[in-house]
Amino acid sequence: MKTTLAVLLALGISMTAVPAYAHHSFAAEFDATKPVKLVGKITRVEWSNPHTYFYVDVADAKGKVTNWSIEGPSPGALSRRGWKKDDLKVGDHVTVVGYRAKDGSNLADGRLVTLADGRTLYGGSPGDGGPGDNGTDQGDLSGINPGK
Amino acid sequence: MPVLQHLCQLLYDSQIGTAIRESNVTFPVIESAHVLSITLVFGTIAVLDLRLLGLVLRAIPVNKVARSVLPLTWTGFAVSLVTGFLLFWAEAAKVYWNPAFRAKLVLLALVGLNPLIFHTTIYRRVEEWGHLRVLPWRARAAAVASLMLWSGVIIAGRAIAYFT
Repeated sequence: MKTTLAVLLALGISMTAVPAYAHHSFAAEFDATKPVKLVGKITRVEWSNPHTYFYVDVADAKGKVTNWSIEGPSPGALSRRGWKKDDLKVGDHVTVVGYRAKDGSNLADGRLVTLADGRTLYGGSPGDGGPGDNGTDQGDLSGINPGK
Repeated sequence: MPVLQHLCQLLYDSQIGTAIRESNVTFPVIESAHVLSITLVFGTIAVLDLRLLGLVLRAIPVNKVARSVLPLTWTGFAVSLVTGFLLFWAEAAKVYWNPAFRAKLVLLALVGLNPLIFHTTIYRRVEEWGHLRVLPWRARAAAVASLMLWSGVIIAGRAIAYFT
């Protein structure tokens, strides 16, 4: 009787454990219908666990500059895609193709980043469900819409 | 800048803090050890709490259950503390602002207060009641508080990621 009760309780509790924000899901944080293409100069780099960030000053057609933050996976994950800490330096000119955060803030994920030296690197994670994701570290770059 | 925030910034900017934070492998290893040590803490203290609630090991007197699990609980806690401090060292300036981290610290203080009260009061007389079928309400209350507070610590710890 007690065992049955305990099992039912455990099942009940486990069913309430809804993965509402499966943290490593692209769809939980970014909007695939809001592609962005950001061209500008890096103002700050945070090469940190658990997520890396770099900040880019982007000028719009009228010359107004806004600062965007680009979120990426951990240093370990990026190093497996061929990124190195020194690839991003303050002052570098970069082009970022990614998708805007769902909450509309100036945050995007860096799915495709063209560095100052001309190399283009993939910044998504295998299995994150975002554009370009084909389960590998290199991604399928044909799936990434360059946006406006 | 408040003193505490300044201290957090110093830790964050330090060579060790930066090295952990920017590492490829070190941070994930410390984080994994932290999670594993927490399972040791919570897993073993839960056995004692469940015994106090009369749900497991009813044939074994409470003090015998306590004596067998508490060394493991303390070992786990020591590792949790060291790994937790290293993670904090790496992220201090950022996590200073994190509401989930602040909640976790408050809950950790409470989760330490609970056994302090328990062991200095009702547990002193465990030989008298440790074998009874129904245990004193203070013992049962301590067990419920322990289970709830540790669950809270774990949830708050996981929630840190969602407030960065």
